[in-house]
Amino acid sequence: MYRIRFHGRGGQGMKTASRILGTAFFNEGFEVQDAPRYGAERRGAPIFAYVRAARRAIYERGVIRHPDLVIVADETLVAMPAAAVLQGVDAHCVVLIHSREPAPVWQHRLNLAGPVVILPLAEEREDRLALRQIGTACAAAAARLVGVVAWTALEQALRDELAALGDALVEANLGPARRVYDFLSPQQGCVAPGPVVAAEGYVRPDWVELAFEDARVSAPAIHAALTSEQVQTGQWRTLRPVIDCARCKGCWWVCSTFCPDGAIQVDESGRPRIDYAHCKGCMVCAAQCPHHAIEAIPEQDAPPAEDERGAK
Amino acid sequence: MTRMLLTGNGAAAWGARLAGIEYLPAFPITPQTEIIETIAKWIDFGELDCRMTTLDSEHSMITAAGGAAVTGVRVFTATSSQGLLYAMEMLYTTAGWRAPFVLVNVSRGLASPITLEPDHNDILAARDSGFLQLHCATCQEVLDGILLAYRMAEDGRVRLPVIVNLDGFYLSFTREPVEVPAAAAVARFLPPFDAQNLGFRAGAPLSEAVAVLGGSPYSYFRYQHHLAALNAEAVFEESAVAFARCFGRSYQAVEAYRCDDAELVFVMLGSFATKAKAAVDCLREAGQAVGLLRPLLLRPFPAAALRRALAGKQGVAVIDQNLSPGKGGVLYTELASALYGQADSNPMLVSFIGGLGGRDISAEEFYEMAAVTRRAAAEGQAPEPRLLYAEAELCEIKKWQAIAQVQRAKEGQP
Amino acid sequence: MSETRFQTMKDLPSCHLLGTGTALCAGCGGLEALHEIYDILGEKTVVVNAAGCMTLLAVYPFTPFRGSWLYTAMASAPAGAQGVRDALDILLAKGRLTAEEDLQTVVLTGDGAAYGMGLSATSGAIERGLDFLYLCYDNEGYGNTGQQYSGATPHGARTATSKGPCGYPGYKKDLFAIWAAHRPAYVATVVGAEPLDLARKIEQAKNRQGPRLILSLAPCPTGWDFDPSETAQIGRLAVQTGVWPLKEYRDGQVVHTKVPQKRLPVEDYLKRQGRFAHLFQPQRNEALLQEIQARIDAYWDNLQS
Repeated sequence: MYRIRFHGRGGQGMKTASRILGTAFFNEGFEVQDAPRYGAERRGAPIFAYVRAARRAIYERGVIRHPDLVIVADETLVAMPAAAVLQGVDAHCVVLIHSREPAPVWQHRLNLAGPVVILPLAEEREDRLALRQIGTACAAAAARLVGVVAWTALEQALRDELAALGDALVEANLGPARRVYDFLSPQQGCVAPGPVVAAEGYVRPDWVELAFEDARVSAPAIHAALTSEQVQTGQWRTLRPVIDCARCKGCWWVCSTFCPDGAIQVDESGRPRIDYAHCKGCMVCAAQCPHHAIEAIPEQDAPPAEDERGAK
Repeated sequence: MTRMLLTGNGAAAWGARLAGIEYLPAFPITPQTEIIETIAKWIDFGELDCRMTTLDSEHSMITAAGGAAVTGVRVFTATSSQGLLYAMEMLYTTAGWRAPFVLVNVSRGLASPITLEPDHNDILAARDSGFLQLHCATCQEVLDGILLAYRMAEDGRVRLPVIVNLDGFYLSFTREPVEVPAAAAVARFLPPFDAQNLGFRAGAPLSEAVAVLGGSPYSYFRYQHHLAALNAEAVFEESAVAFARCFGRSYQAVEAYRCDDAELVFVMLGSFATKAKAAVDCLREAGQAVGLLRPLLLRPFPAAALRRALAGKQGVAVIDQNLSPGKGGVLYTELASALYGQADSNPMLVSFIGGLGGRDISAEEFYEMAAVTRRAAAEGQAPEPRLLYAEAELCEIKKWQAIAQVQRAKEGQP
Repeated sequence: MSETRFQTMKDLPSCHLLGTGTALCAGCGGLEALHEIYDILGEKTVVVNAAGCMTLLAVYPFTPFRGSWLYTAMASAPAGAQGVRDALDILLAKGRLTAEEDLQTVVLTGDGAAYGMGLSATSGAIERGLDFLYLCYDNEGYGNTGQQYSGATPHGARTATSKGPCGYPGYKKDLFAIWAAHRPAYVATVVGAEPLDLARKIEQAKNRQGPRLILSLAPCPTGWDFDPSETAQIGRLAVQTGVWPLKEYRDGQVVHTKVPQKRLPVEDYLKRQGRFAHLFQPQRNEALLQEIQARIDAYWDNLQS
């Protein structure tokens, strides 16, 4: 059985990627499971979807713990613990990263024993969320790497899954998908179906006896304020608002008032300061600033923000 | 202590009054309404210091009850039947809040067809809600059960809401002698509500009943809820000992009547169990070794007590005043799961459906159930669950069908 | 407006009370309004929440509140507020709670609960004179489940359950009028994009007793299909085009607090949102556009006469 996990951000089309790949496998006569993982995650937040494909009935269900292929649509997710991109990745698993950096860099950085394949990141993009073809490119990459999905099966899957979006969008996606499929032909078939957890000699988890705890402790209640500030929603951001202090006139804190998340504080001198650990990058501030003093910078081009370094 | 004639509803109101309830969110429904009317009168005439609010529905009523309980006051409320089902979402929800309060349910059969008379499908629909359940057989038990229920609900080892159940009509509207304890004695048994860390206060931020993401934290909270419910059995036993000391009346999680030397045992819930007692007496007079077991506590389920009491018996007739369509009786299923897989030789279990929608269970019906169970034990084969229905009843139905002209429908006439 | 402490924009709060780090969408218009409102209400509040997008404000063990919160269910948040308020009153009366420890009871629901399932509980709470503040963030559909139409969805909008060429065939329910018909202490419409108007109204509401209800338009980038950066702009256009009249009901009178002097054509509002794209592409649906415009014009014309 092939077990493939797609990691991206809400809005990048990971569900679509899993459905295109699932349909492509199906077109090749495989038994298939594909599913997105829904949580509280929103646009920009890390999400994943997965596909299983086999020549016989699939009995496994749910999240893939031991993937054969992990596709990372957004390289900034790799360093994010909440994204759990590398969960279950071992020497057998192929990791495909959509990145500007070459495979050895990632291999070294992540101390990966298994193969790393790079899908080069286009340079001209500004907002990673803006490019809707990432999902289809990821599906095409997966199809090529498993090596058992012909272009015709993939193309049909892509047409079927994107049909509702209109012909123009289908055609716009076919080209990039084909280019990715061709580009990765040297790696065709580098993904091999992995083994299952054996019933003999398995590693026994440390089971505990779940003991009674008083309702004061064991009710779903939080006896504190503002604990949500420990959640780094700044990791959702793909565009970063940067205030040009020279142009900021210290108005009636328009940016701070309109920021839905309350992630812009105003200091005593009336100057706004963005809390990058929590700014989700909606850019309402940039759109509303009366003096156009807030610029949007693609996150991967921006230096690490002070707040985030402190918070990580 | 005063002995007086009280209906089950009156006894429920007295139980609430003696418990010193502070808040009564309410909504009328037959056959429960008399409870809130009685308490409302006491409030209006200054006999009870309690705030009453009539909500727009039972769903709202249980929400308000839970909201007030987690804010830190002693809450009482009551409903029946359709009302309990309308509130069902909030039964699960407020139990999950670990909100300690007491809800009286006056059992009534569920629509459709709609009826006013009792059976246990309403209360058993709440079986898995996370509320604890006490099932009363007499008006006295209704009053006493409410006091016991507050002890369980508010105990730190439990902290869960409790439903005290009584049967509509057969208890709710039926007067019996009830000993009403003195308020001072009750105050010794049930001290004022200790809210522990419950309560919303400025300066003490509390986010209550928050969402979880993922099965792992969800499992933790739900399982803790289960463990707390299990603890309630020991808390019940302790409270019953204290209760006996204060008031001289003893309660057990499972009431056993003439069971010790019985070969056959009836098992059933609620007020019809006293009819079973009468049948047991008559069967004993006829030379048959028959007894009765009646769980007073249904949640937590007193499995060990039932196992002990039934060890070595030949046959058990489980009489369910409820029906899970496509399966049968709920109590039968519960009991079977408690007995199966035990080392002791288990008795023959036979399932009967009776007393639906307030239908009587006659002495003859009990005798027939005893005979069927005895036969099954001898043959080693239980019959399928069965509704005992008399030919005279069916004749009556046929007459009504003639009036309803159901043959027109059958023949396809407009 | 001499009674207000919010005379100019400079009087608006510059530091914020609601915590960051919530799971709501980037650019959420409901959260924009909520954080502006919370700045004025303050932390001496218990927010009783109904099921909706804002269920996810507090996910164990993370809460953005400085004060308290209770999650109930979709239909019954006002009833939860009733229980909490009644219990606080009992505790106050019995001396188990000091006046300083007392809290304002605030209900927080989406339009799905406010316009539909929770209307009976809301009506009951108003009729009982419950001393509470009700806040509805109206994103004009069941947003948390993917924007199916609700009783708040405007005519012609595309939703997940009205994808046809003409969008949603129904008309947005007039919840303001339904609330006002109960004659509560206060009712107002607000939008996060008009923070001064919002601040004055929340101040009004805060200083009154009894049922006070706030209906906030909540531009929703996810459900309405626009770029998250445009949340405030779309909220402002809703006011400028007359789609979202800013008004209040107080002392038996309805007063409009911000009448657009020269209303912009409603198209300016519609064409920025993907949920109305079918009105413009592949060809303009002139009839439907005119109908929508006519309804807005009729509203304001009636006001003048």
